[in-house]
Amino acid sequence: MGSVLVLLEQTGLATWIRESGLLYSYPLILFLHTLGLSTLVGLNTAIDLRLLGVGACIPLPSLEKTFRVMWAGLALNVATGILLFIADATRHASNPAFYVKLACVALAVVALARIRDQVFRKHQSGKLLAAASLTCWFVALSAGRLMAYINEFIS
Amino acid sequence: MTPAHLHLLLNHVPTIGFGLGLGLFVASLLAKSEDLKQASLVVFFIIALVAIPAYLTGNAANFVLQDEPAVSQDVVAAHQDAAMLALVPMEVTGLLAWFALWRFRRWHVVALLVLSVLTIGLMARAATLGGEVRHPEILADGTAASAPGWPRAAAAGAAFVLDNPWVWPISEIFHFVGLCLLFGIVLLINLRMLGVVTGVALVDINRLLPWAMLGLVINVVTGMLFFLASPDQYTQNTTFAWKIGAMLLGGLTLLYPTMVNEHSGMKLAANATITRAVGATSICLWVAVIFLGRFLPYFGSE
Repeated sequence: MGSVLVLLEQTGLATWIRESGLLYSYPLILFLHTLGLSTLVGLNTAIDLRLLGVGACIPLPSLEKTFRVMWAGLALNVATGILLFIADATRHASNPAFYVKLACVALAVVALARIRDQVFRKHQSGKLLAAASLTCWFVALSAGRLMAYINEFIS
Repeated sequence: MTPAHLHLLLNHVPTIGFGLGLGLFVASLLAKSEDLKQASLVVFFIIALVAIPAYLTGNAANFVLQDEPAVSQDVVAAHQDAAMLALVPMEVTGLLAWFALWRFRRWHVVALLVLSVLTIGLMARAATLGGEVRHPEILADGTAASAPGWPRAAAAGAAFVLDNPWVWPISEIFHFVGLCLLFGIVLLINLRMLGVVTGVALVDINRLLPWAMLGLVINVVTGMLFFLASPDQYTQNTTFAWKIGAMLLGGLTLLYPTMVNEHSGMKLAANATITRAVGATSICLWVAVIFLGRFLPYFGSE
């Protein structure tokens, strides 16, 4: 496993992201990752708030179009996330906060899919799912931010 | 033009602007004019936004002055503390004015009167101390700079971040929470304004706006903590100046969904093109804020 990570890190692409120092390399990928997360988490937060009773006058079907935008944000962040991971594969893989973040992102995406199937399509109550979604995103964001500090602490 | 010039340009705006806002507000109450009241609330909100760079450029001005023997750093510090002490109630007044624009409540009147008068008093004190930085002729004995008892707001804020190593990382987490709240809800409302999201009235979807405003408040507070702890990192970086500029314009675009809807006096249907244009502009500005914030460590400093 460790050797795979080292190989990943030594690919030309990973080295370029990590070491080129170009603005359209690491900083641009980081910006796109932030844009994707604020689109996905931001719109999902708006839906969660609506399910928890904020703006109860907003008809749920009107929000259905935002799912496409959120999936686009998710796709952007899977792609940029992979690029950011391979650039520092061994360091990220030895960081416990990274696994917390991945697990919470996965749970939040599952919650979002269930919100669409059960609340938007089958009109069930979504309060519990909304609360779970907000919690998962908050922990994912926190773990993501703390990765940098824990990386520093490890090395 | 340097940020120090910008401070001289901007530093009169909060004092004079809030005087103007209060004058308009009182006049609207006397004349019982709804339009005048709306205008005064908009003035309060805009001045509260402009007060942010007025404060930030003060550190840039001091960066230029810090080696000048004629400038007393004690007076500068006292001016900065007084400015922070005035900035807090000014931002609270601006926020309350925004709430009054969003959904007016009667208690807003009393709160706005009290807060704006308090702010103008504290602002006048900050302005007086600011004048003393460069005008020794008006520096009387026992100046306000050495007057005891006033809270050292800016110094206390900086010490809070610097003395507690957990404050910076926690603030970073909340800066992202605020970003998601603000960007997500503003994006949703702007998509409605653009006609991408349909089947919901603007007056209904703007029920979510206070949560976007909460995001903005979280980010102004946490951003200010970063700035207080490490001012030179930001004042000596042009990307930061552009970020604040984009944030101010983005903040202004929030007034549109706040004030224009199916129930307000402004005719929405006739303004469909303007609504789309504001929606698109707003999204671009907030994306620019994220972009400039992300590039700040990599671009713009010497």
